[in-house]
Amino acid sequence: MSRKVVEIAGKRLSLSNLEKDLYPSYGFTKARILEYYRRIAKFILPHLKNRALTLKRYPEGVEEDFFFEKRCPPHRPEWAKTAEIRRDDGERMTVCLVNNLETLIWVENLASLELHVPLARASSPETPDFMVFDLDPGERANILDCASVALILRDLLSGLGLKGHLKTSGKKGLHMYVPLNRKDTTFEDTKKFSKAVAGIMQKNYPDLVTARMAKEYRKSKVFINWAQNDSSKTMVCVYSLRAQEKPVVSFPLSWKELERLAGKGDPGRLRILHSEALRRAEDGGDLFREVLVKKQKLPHL
Amino acid sequence: MAGGTIWKGHIHFGGANVPVKLHTAVREERIQFHLLHRRDHAKLRQQMICAYEKKLVPIEAQAKGLEVEEGKYIIVDPEELERTAPEGTRVIEVHEFVKAEEIDPIFLDRVYYLEPDAPAKGYNELVGALREIGVDGICTWTMRKRSYLGALETDGKILRLNTLRYADEVISVKSLELQKIPVSEKELKIGSDLINQLTGPFQPEQFENEHQKKLRHLIEKKARGEEIAILRPRRLKPTESDKLLQTLEASLKKVA
Amino acid sequence: MKSHNPNLSASKSSSGREPEMIPQGIWSGTISFSLVAIPVQLVKAVDPGRVSFRMLHRDDYSPLQRRMFCPEEERIVAPDEIVKGYEIGPGKYIVMTDEELESVTPERSRTIEIIEFIDMKDVDPIYYEHPYYLVPLKGGEKAYRLLVEVLHRTNKAGLAKFVLAEREYLVAVESREGALALITLHYSEEILPDQDILPKGGKIETEEKSRMKNVIKKMMADFRPEKYADERREKILGLLKKKIKEKALVEAPEIGEEQGEGPADLIAALEESMRKVKKNR
Repeated sequence: MSRKVVEIAGKRLSLSNLEKDLYPSYGFTKARILEYYRRIAKFILPHLKNRALTLKRYPEGVEEDFFFEKRCPPHRPEWAKTAEIRRDDGERMTVCLVNNLETLIWVENLASLELHVPLARASSPETPDFMVFDLDPGERANILDCASVALILRDLLSGLGLKGHLKTSGKKGLHMYVPLNRKDTTFEDTKKFSKAVAGIMQKNYPDLVTARMAKEYRKSKVFINWAQNDSSKTMVCVYSLRAQEKPVVSFPLSWKELERLAGKGDPGRLRILHSEALRRAEDGGDLFREVLVKKQKLPHL
Repeated sequence: MAGGTIWKGHIHFGGANVPVKLHTAVREERIQFHLLHRRDHAKLRQQMICAYEKKLVPIEAQAKGLEVEEGKYIIVDPEELERTAPEGTRVIEVHEFVKAEEIDPIFLDRVYYLEPDAPAKGYNELVGALREIGVDGICTWTMRKRSYLGALETDGKILRLNTLRYADEVISVKSLELQKIPVSEKELKIGSDLINQLTGPFQPEQFENEHQKKLRHLIEKKARGEEIAILRPRRLKPTESDKLLQTLEASLKKVA
Repeated sequence: MKSHNPNLSASKSSSGREPEMIPQGIWSGTISFSLVAIPVQLVKAVDPGRVSFRMLHRDDYSPLQRRMFCPEEERIVAPDEIVKGYEIGPGKYIVMTDEELESVTPERSRTIEIIEFIDMKDVDPIYYEHPYYLVPLKGGEKAYRLLVEVLHRTNKAGLAKFVLAEREYLVAVESREGALALITLHYSEEILPDQDILPKGGKIETEEKSRMKNVIKKMMADFRPEKYADERREKILGLLKKKIKEKALVEAPEIGEEQGEGPADLIAALEESMRKVKKNR
């Protein structure tokens, strides 16, 4: 298995197992994974910046066991930036902050195919920068049902003056992010708000939507997981790969595109592969940028 | 007197088996404070509560979980994970020997005295052997359901076991991101002279925990209802970088 | 140690307990030697690497939190209701504020004054308690670098005392890989004597000792702490993998499912918006 030493911004990194195929039924080696992340870096880094990283490592590939790590691996390079955070049970923990390309590549060399981050930054863990609606289809529902729900949700929130942005989860669902970016908004606010929204959605579209987690309520519906609005929860970062059979990406979709694709009736059109993700990002820029900069206030709280 | 026997085992390496008893070597003297309820001075107890219902949870209903996926846990017995040797072997297995001075003090954790256990065999010989070559033995053992890494050392005529920290527990200096600031050779020379002037033997017996005595007096004073003067902590003015050399020279003059 | 008040006793803790550790970044002040003063902050040098666990409720796997409980009022108390008290008699406490504690030895509450230098070789490892690093604060970078360099050159360590809240520490300040490390030391009165466990009779079988020396020489190695860390980690991860295959994963329940809809204003606004949405579809 091949090794290589690279230098990024003056820092030396030893890359390993470059020939290892981590997506065996598709054929995608570690070298190609590193290449994907190198090219997507300028789009993904602003969304990872200063957020406590949760690594999901697949050293033997997507078909084998994965390691879930919230603590920053102790054998980290001296230049890897970290933060000290306090868990909600009071325990302290050192976490990685992926603030630059060299740290991103180091993390990917550890086969952390998926990058998950909290909704708040490490320096202010109780104040989320956005509110999320995690749309998760039940067994008998699919991403097209999520698309329908997302469109209703968009209009519902628009009536309250709020704008949202959509991305694919990379698996079966969709994620809607409502940018807030205000110092005084807390998880208590976003949780209360999103719960109320989920409740109204369920009340008005009971055959399509559920706000309850228990599996028996979810079978043919779309579950609006409002409880993701919590300091202890993470979401897969936009532009991250997913450890699915194929290297799909959690990719942003414009509303126009969603309307068009949802109408076509083919769930496959909503799965964005690594190559398409790179092409679209390089051509069109960061479609999710507004999520980081737009300021909105939650009304009626 | 050394602390009571807390564990018994035997040191093993290359055919040698030396039975020993472990004693604590350090007893910390400390004025203990209690956390109290401001209103009624009731002594507070630490309890576990359910994060959601905010209700108390008794010990029998508590379990330790390891997060293996977001929000998903596997219930584990942490001691089970820490154990490397089967329970009850009582062996302090020595894996290798290293020069005593190679052990960076940052790895040293806790010290235990080892007393020869009956039948006393090999103890004095081991002390002599280790001392004459100038080495410590790196060993592992399982005690009270936890596994330990340690250094077997000599101290005069007795053996000691010094538990060691693991490398992944020590934070590297490089992560502190210290700047490399040039210091002049003159400043280094005067600084070194100053240090040499102020060097003396390590005589720990000279140091007393005066603060503890004073604290006790203060507490008693308050108990008698007397006023306590609030004294502001002394804060020194930092030495400016461009005044460093002259400050060093003035210091040297003072002590020479 | 004698006390004027027989009721005020020092609590003896056996070294089987975790030492009280100074939390990250809580102490900042100056370190001085002779006339030189350097502004610094104290930070951790050790981060317990053990795999971290969460306390869960055995029945429904909801996460648990540590709280302080008042047995008189039978309720959990908030942090601002908590004070530090010293027991002077059964059930009788004297409350001390942080300011009063700092007044005990004010000259050492914010200053680490190095009064002399020693050879680290002279320090018996039994004295080491807990290591920290000192990092320079703004303006002190040059003087900090000087101290690190001269300690390294002369191969010495600084000996000082410093106070944090109600505890006074005897410390050694040394140069380590280009940084200042501060290691708290035990006071000599805390080191228990070992005379009573000395082997009776100093008889040594020289042949046995020679045999041991031969074995020792064959087992010589370099001190490589990473090697031991890796071995332990591999073992733990292997055990975990096995466990994950055998056992079922449990999931913590979601909160607030049973609570009300939400603030009335918000519900009203949402319902109004929903009416419009439905009309337009």
